[in-house]
Order: sequence, then structure tokens, then C-alpha cells
Amino acid sequence: MTTAETPRQIAWSRRRASLIRTWREFSGQRAALAGLVLLGATVLVALLLPLISDEDGLNVTKATGQPLSPPNADFWLGTDNFGRSVLLLTVWGTRISLLVGFSAALLSVVIGTLIGIAAAHFGGWVSATLLRFTDFFLVLPSLILAIALSAVLPKGVGTIILAIGLTAWPSTARLVRAQTLTIESRPYIERAHALGGGHLHIIGRHVLPGVMPLVLANTTLVVGNAVIADATLSFLGVGDPNSITWGLVLENALNNGAISRGAWWNVLPPGIAIVLVVLFFTLVGRGLETVFNPRLKK
Amino acid sequence: MTTPLLQLTDLNVTYEVGDKEVLAVRGVDLTLDPGGTLGVAGESGSGKSTVAMSVLRLLPRTAKITGEILLDGEDVTAMKWGRLRAVRWAEASVVFQGAMHALNPVRKIGEQIAEPLRLHPPSGKALTDDQVDARVAELLTQVDLPPSRAGAYPHELSGGQKQRVMIAMALACSPRLIIADEPTTALDVIVQAQVLALLSKLVAEQHIGLVMISHDLSVLAATCERIAVMYDGQIVEEGPSAEVMGSPQHDHTRALAAAFPTVGDPVSRFAPATAGPLPPEPSGREAGEPLLAAENLRVSFRDRTGKRINAVAGVDLTVSRDEIVALVGQSGSGKTTLARTLLGLQKPDSGVVRYAGNPVPTGGAGLKAYRRQVQLVLQDPTSALNPAHTVYEAVAEGPRIHKLADERAVVHRALEAAELRPAEKFADRLPHQLSGGQRQRVVIAGALALEPSVVVADEPVASLDASVRGEILALLLRLRREFGLAALVITHDLGLAWNIADRVAVMYRGELVETGTVEQVLLDPRHEYTKSLLAALPGGTAQHRAVET
Repeated sequence: MTTAETPRQIAWSRRRASLIRTWREFSGQRAALAGLVLLGATVLVALLLPLISDEDGLNVTKATGQPLSPPNADFWLGTDNFGRSVLLLTVWGTRISLLVGFSAALLSVVIGTLIGIAAAHFGGWVSATLLRFTDFFLVLPSLILAIALSAVLPKGVGTIILAIGLTAWPSTARLVRAQTLTIESRPYIERAHALGGGHLHIIGRHVLPGVMPLVLANTTLVVGNAVIADATLSFLGVGDPNSITWGLVLENALNNGAISRGAWWNVLPPGIAIVLVVLFFTLVGRGLETVFNPRLKK
Repeated sequence: MTTPLLQLTDLNVTYEVGDKEVLAVRGVDLTLDPGGTLGVAGESGSGKSTVAMSVLRLLPRTAKITGEILLDGEDVTAMKWGRLRAVRWAEASVVFQGAMHALNPVRKIGEQIAEPLRLHPPSGKALTDDQVDARVAELLTQVDLPPSRAGAYPHELSGGQKQRVMIAMALACSPRLIIADEPTTALDVIVQAQVLALLSKLVAEQHIGLVMISHDLSVLAATCERIAVMYDGQIVEEGPSAEVMGSPQHDHTRALAAAFPTVGDPVSRFAPATAGPLPPEPSGREAGEPLLAAENLRVSFRDRTGKRINAVAGVDLTVSRDEIVALVGQSGSGKTTLARTLLGLQKPDSGVVRYAGNPVPTGGAGLKAYRRQVQLVLQDPTSALNPAHTVYEAVAEGPRIHKLADERAVVHRALEAAELRPAEKFADRLPHQLSGGQRQRVVIAGALALEPSVVVADEPVASLDASVRGEILALLLRLRREFGLAALVITHDLGLAWNIADRVAVMYRGELVETGTVEQVLLDPRHEYTKSLLAALPGGTAQHRAVET
């Protein structure tokens, strides 16, 4: 080290070192690494879709295949009742499902983190109010609340994101509150108080960096749940009818008799897609949790 | 000649850490005759606990033992598993460190004392429940606990009582050897004296051999006939207690002996054990104006049952410029609550805290400005520093909060003042890369960065090794002599007060029972409680020694 280095540079080089350490620990877990690679591939495909495939195939008026034809050389996964390729529908469904999953998870994690930290940090009546508020959302069946929300609000992707985001945060809030409480009981918080640090200082310098790793791991798990919630809402017909999602494909299959006619190829591909994406997120989330939560290490 | 009870010959213990091998114990030879008492002294990491645990092969699997461990003439290292199991507790037992954690919190203490009895029945055949109960009652009586306490859970007992339960467990199978690993650490002076007296009495009565481990030479000298001093895995000195204490040969023994001064010994007055020279007392020193003052301060808490507990019950205390005041008391006496109230971290029920004559504001910009004048140093530097922050960030925290100009220079000055030189070398280290003493210096530097006029230090050396202790105390004394920095040092240790303080305030059950200069209070105590504190010192005071000899 040279004396010319500024503290900022030192801090950055240290951060880089800790990032590399985290990555080494993470990539040491084979399942987590596999999950990350496959998830990356999925996201990449979803982003590049408009370049590598034709959106016209999704339009019922331009569909070229026979209705409900089983898998064949032209349509590898068969067609739906409009004659559209199920493969194309499933692959395009990735876009909206991931968009909703990420946005809703982000929304719920932000709400959950803010409420969790506030409840733990301020204590007293603030904490009591926030916790009762959290309990209220926790005991309410989140699916029914989400249905109610998306039924009242105008239909669209934004509504689905809002409905899921507003119902999925309580578990994050509980988790963050617990972690904040353990951090705030450490003597260095007392020291920061004695140095004259206010709420902002203590939350920004000590609490937030302390809870962030856990929040990050939690986020990846929440994304998986949000993908499922999105599929459920679309399947129940409260989603956006104009965007292709896995839930919508499933709803379509149910409403148009594909299932009763034994057209399994209309149901299995979107279902398996949901399982896979959620699995990837769970693998990555578990891997992160193992790295950040020392108690899970053997 | 009788067979020695315990004989260690050329004992080596290596730990495998990762793919490296760490030599924890190197060529240790020790002998203990039946009924003899041996103290093993050393700092953390000196290998003293490893030696003790190797006697019963209680070390982790990664440890490799070479050499000979003869227990009653039988080689422990060659014992089969079954034989070893029989030897544990029936022949030799252990009083573990930290009684709070060594007892199972969900089982009654009677059951826990009975456990070794059931596992190792003395006569070889299982005891009936009545016999077990009778033996447990007998053991509890031996350690001065009423037998009715057998039904109590650990949390219902005080620290000293728990330690006595541990001793009862160790005695359960009438072993020939007891190994006590820091049996009195974390206990108050008075309780410590009681536990030590009890242990000595039982060992003498029942002709049991005792190996006692401690970092505190005076504790060992009070209980053991011989003392062995360990340093870096080796025994550097061994001899009769009085000799080791009185005329230590090895440098390390000398440092250990000096770290715990004898109260009343003029040599150690204003002379903590330090390698560097102390600046001379500034001439013309006179009583400065009062800086920090508490007036009839009262703080109370509600316990779980809703009962009010007066933690601080009407305290008047002043700390003046250029003086160090020691606040002495045992745990639970309210001294930490008093300190937190002085710092404005705890609201008093009544009474005022004054700084330079004006009441301290309870919030807002006024309180923030007050924080620049009065700073805090916590007990355990390891937990007082955010593990993710570098030394620089930790010290710069205060200046950043108060938006001081030229942060770099301020931090460097503070690090240099806390004797972390050169400052650049330490700036980018993380707390876990520092030793305990260096961490405490970082905490002190963090306080100094705000250029306060008073530092409140809550047990600043209680969690530090003996050799570092003197250095940190010397730092406080140097800061006072060079910059006139006043300090309120909270401690349970009268030796510390004798080392550096100008005045002493003795706190007992929330009240100050005695206040005065160090010489007045420690050499001529008025209050009964101060007298009992002084009487409980394991090394005694210089006056007592003079009377005895």
C-alpha cells in the first residue's frame, strides 16, 4: 500500500476483495452455480427473443398450424386451440413472467426492508404499529388480497406487479426486523450513539450494510414466489389478457377444452417452465444464503 | 517415593489448521504429587488450556499429542476408549471455564450433579435414586449450598452459585485430581474470594490434587503451592508460588506479575506495567474546574414482574479537568447505568448531569455538541468495532458525523495519540486483523478524534490480556498528563484504580458509599463494603502483607 491512496480507494479495493471472496464461496457450491448459469441463460433468451424469433406467431389471426395438433416436426410441442405453436408461447411467456417476478420481488423487498428496519430501530409505538400492520398482511390470505387488488385496479402488467408486491412483503419485513435487532444489540451501535450518530447514520452505516446480504438472498427466493403468484393470477383470469404469460397459456388450455381432450402438450410445457425458473431462483437463493448466513455453513 | 499423581513428560500438541500445523504446546514437563496444588499461568493463546485438556484427552480431533501423560502412573495417551471413559470424572474431573455456559439451562442442577454419579457409580454398580439424592445433598452441603437448591434451574442461581455447582459436579465421583480452567473469571472480587477459599478447603480436606489455570498470578498464588508460567507453548518458569510472585525470573512472568499490582504498593502507584516511558507529572498541578458532574442522579428500570429496580439511587459525582476518577463496584452495582446516563444514552428519572456547569441537553443539536466533549470507551473492543469497517473508517466515524474539516489529518492525529504508529500502517486494517490491545486503541482513537475533554471508559481492560492491560492503562495516564484529558474509568478492579486513578468512588447497590482520593479510600477505607472489597483481593494489600510478616 502506498500512502497516496485515499481512504475511498482503500474502501473500494477492500470491497472488490470481499466480492471476489463471496464469489469463490458461492461458485464452490455446484447446485447454486448451475442455477445461476441456467438462470442467466433464461434471462438472456428472454431479452434476445425479439431478435431471434417472430412475434407474429403469437397472433391468433396469423396462426399457421392446425388447432390442437400434437407435437410434430413443424411444431415441436404441438399447437393450442388457435393453432399457435406452444413452444413459441412458452418461450415468449418467459419475458412477462420474469419481468413480473423481478419487479414484484423488488417492490416487496423494498417495502419489507423499510418496514422491518423501522420497526426494529425505532421501537416503542412505531414498532408496535408497524408490527400489527405487518401481522395484518401476514394473516390475510395473500392470493385473495392479490385477486381483490387486481380486480379493482385497471388490468395490465403493472397491476399484477403491484398486487403481488403489496402482498408478498410481510415475511421479508419479519426477517429484516430480526436481523436488525441482532445488529442493534451490538456494542458498536452504542459507540455510534455516543459518537453523536443519529438515526440516519446508524441505519445507513451499520444496519443497512448488515442486513443487505440477507435481503439479497431473500430477494432471489421472493422472485420465485412472485413468478408462481403471477402464473396463478393469470390462470385465474385476473391477469392482463393481452400479454402472453404461462398462467394465461394454462388458463386458455382449461377454458378451451384442451385438457378434457387430452392435449397434454398444452399444459405440461408452461407448467414445467414455471417449475424450472422457480427452481433456478431457489438454487441461487439458497446458495447466497449459505454464503451470507454463517450458521448454515457446516 | 510415591508415584506422582500427574506427570507430563515432553508433551507436544499440534493443531491442524487448514493445511498448516500449529504447535500449541512445546515440550512441557510438569509433575504433581498426590494432594498437591499447581497453578498454570499464561495469557490467551499461551497453550495453558491445551495442556490441561490434554490430561483427559478432551482436545478436538485435529490435535495431535506426542509425549507422555501419566495419570497415577498410567499413560493416558495409550488408554483404550473404555478405560479413558472410566478415568474421566472418576479419577480426574474438570471445572470448566464460564459456569454460565457449562451448565445445561433446561435441567435442574441436582440432576446435573447426579449425571456423573449415574455414569460412573463409585462402587461399580448402579446407585439407587435415594443414594444418588443423598450424595447430591452431601455435595451441595460441601460447596455451601443448601441441599434444597437441588431443584433449582441454572438461571435461578447467581454466577458464584453456578460456579459452586460446577465444583460439586467435579467432586461427585471423589476424583484424585481436579482440573480447574479459569474457575473465577467473570466473577466479582468478593465471589471470587469465596470460590477460591472453598476450592482450597475442599482440596486440602479430601487430599485431592488440583491443577488450576488462570491468567491472574495473584489468584494462583492465593490457592496453589507451585506455579508454572506458560508463554508461547512453553513453560518459561516454574517454582513455589511465593518465589514466582516475589522474585520472578523470566520477563514474561515479571510482566504478568506487574499487570496485577498490589494495592498499597508505592512502586505501582501511577506506574502501570508499560514498556514505554511515562511523561513526568506536569508541575504545578492543581485541582481543575469540575467538568462533568452528576447531581442526585436517579435511574430505575422495571424488571419482568414490573417491580421497580433502582439502578442508580441518588448519586453525586464530579470529574474535573486533568484527573482520572475510578468508579469501583461489582457487577449489578449500577456503575454502567451511571456511565450511560452521564453520556446521555439513558434518561435519568430525576437529577441532572452538568457539563462545565450547564445541564446537558437531552436531544437535538445541544446533545450532539455535548458528544464532542464527552466520549465513551467500551469494555470489549472486539464487539465495539463494526467488523466490516477498517480502522480508518472506525476512527473517521465521529469526525464524519460532526462534519469536521480535514478528516484525514484528524484521523491520523487520533491514531498517533492512541499510539498506533505509524498511522498509515493501521489505516486499512480490519478489526479481526488486529490484536485485542490494538483494537482497544482503535476504540480510544475513535473517541479521541472528536478531541473530547472527558472520556468515560467502561471496564477498558477487563477483556484484555495481562501484558496489554498495563499498556492501555499507561495510555490513559499519558493522555491525562500530556493533554489534560479527564477520564472516568469504570472497573471492578481495585488494582486498576491504584495504578492510574487520582480519586476513587465506590458504588454499592446504586449508591456511592465512599468517595475520596485513592490513598484515602484504598489505604484507609471507611465503609464496610470497601473494606470487604479490599479483603477479598486475592493478593491482599501491601498493608496486610506487612502485618502478616
